[in-house]
Amino acid sequence: MIKIPIKVLLVDDEKDFVEMLALRLNELGERAFSSFSGRECLDVLEEKAIDVVILDIKMPGMDGIETLREIKRRFPLVEVILLTGHGTTETAVEGMKLGAFDYLLKPADFDALMMKLEGARKRRDEQEERIRSAEARLLMRKSGDI
Amino acid sequence: MQTQGKIDLLLVDDEEDFRRTIAKRLRRRGMSPEEAGNGEECLTMIDEHPMDVVVLDVKMPGMSGIEILRRIKEKHPGTEVLLLTGYATTHDGVEGIKAGAFDYLSKPVELEQLIGKIQQAYDKIQREKEKIREADYRTRIEQQMIATERLASLGTLAAGVAHEINNPLAIIQEAVGWMQLLLQKSELEDLPRKADFDLALTKIKNGIERARRITHQLLGFVRKTDSHFSEIDLTDLIHEAIEMVKTEAGDRHIELISDSDEERVTIFSDPYQLRQVLINLLTNAIQATLDAGEIKIHIVDADDNVSFSIVDNGRGVPKENMEKIFEPFFSTKAPGQGTGLGLFVTRGILGKLEGRIELESRLGHGAEFRVILPKIFKMQTGRESDDRRDWTKLIKDIH
Repeated sequence: MIKIPIKVLLVDDEKDFVEMLALRLNELGERAFSSFSGRECLDVLEEKAIDVVILDIKMPGMDGIETLREIKRRFPLVEVILLTGHGTTETAVEGMKLGAFDYLLKPADFDALMMKLEGARKRRDEQEERIRSAEARLLMRKSGDI
Repeated sequence: MQTQGKIDLLLVDDEEDFRRTIAKRLRRRGMSPEEAGNGEECLTMIDEHPMDVVVLDVKMPGMSGIEILRRIKEKHPGTEVLLLTGYATTHDGVEGIKAGAFDYLSKPVELEQLIGKIQQAYDKIQREKEKIREADYRTRIEQQMIATERLASLGTLAAGVAHEINNPLAIIQEAVGWMQLLLQKSELEDLPRKADFDLALTKIKNGIERARRITHQLLGFVRKTDSHFSEIDLTDLIHEAIEMVKTEAGDRHIELISDSDEERVTIFSDPYQLRQVLINLLTNAIQATLDAGEIKIHIVDADDNVSFSIVDNGRGVPKENMEKIFEPFFSTKAPGQGTGLGLFVTRGILGKLEGRIELESRLGHGAEFRVILPKIFKMQTGRESDDRRDWTKLIKDIH
């Protein structure tokens, strides 16, 4: 089977962490992009078609939950996985209620991260598929009227 | 006045007849005065048996009343002295008060007046003693509060350190993972000493895993004030915890027996944290028990609290370790086996849930950990958020 790379956007103010994780993901054949703040993340989402965002909850300036809200408002089909280095798992669960796919506690087990990444991509793909079917049905109905 | 009999009273006067008469009349009124005829006698008696009140004649041959007064106050500042002055000489009386006497009375002395003054002097002594008791009590309470606050701050500090460390740990983990990935690439197949690199990276990865377990344990300990409280069926919770440790116990043929006095025991508390406590204690018990041993869990429902005991017939805890095992990072296991934090975190959690943990054990005779919890938890608000704010400020200062 041909591997389709997942387009992942990493968002964390810890530059070293983002750099290493991006290297690792790219080495495995995914397409990883980096950003270091909530603002930057939203800018990248404007320009590129991203499948999944891996988002750190605690960031200076625009924090994770705020960024999550904006992502869901402007790019609702993008899946978000939350990362937290804190005992703030309550915030992570709150994030899931706001639409995040799942969360992981830092330092995250890489296999667990990959599994969640695959899961998020799958959910997004399935939603895209449903949208395409709906559009197709819409077209057929329209042509039927003619 | 019932207290009169309790007053340790000493009459000092060289005029024997006068002294004896006063003493007799005081005795008739329920007091029990001792008697002394001069300064030396008085001081000797007081040294042997301290007095509450001393009634002292100012004008005596040998040591003067004022001199005696000074000596008394020097060695026994808690003793109150009533001066009996000569006929209409207020000068002596005032001098006496300046030297520390409680008051003075001029001869001829009226019995009622004397008794009144003695009682007043005694009341003053009682008040002073009470003040000291209160001050002492307050100091002890303050010390306890400081210790508790320090522990709470320590907990928050530990959690703060933990979450700060998680970030660099994450970086190290990614870097190591990436290196391990690279080493598996075909282009690096013939890398000289590849096995050495692999070994080192594995060690690093294991080290990160250990550090991670510690930080996660510590973070689990400090929860935000909005912990989730609900009505808990303790019997159910215990069964859940047993389920979670059953395989580990089963592997070594250790039996877990649970029983309770009542049918259903319910309390209002945080199920997540209680489950963590149970699992900590059960895991410890399993590790301490020998193969084919037995662990009993027993619930007791008292009036306004509930307790459960986890009793094992394993190695037991030596006396010198009974307090130490609750200290952070104390472990009798090999380094790397366990975090040494289980009981520290457990006690911390129980403290926050307004409960406590007790240990009874003898070396070679197993151990019983008893957890006592209130049935209703009285909410505490504000404290933790304050500590978090202080910690955040400290971190900012460091940066």
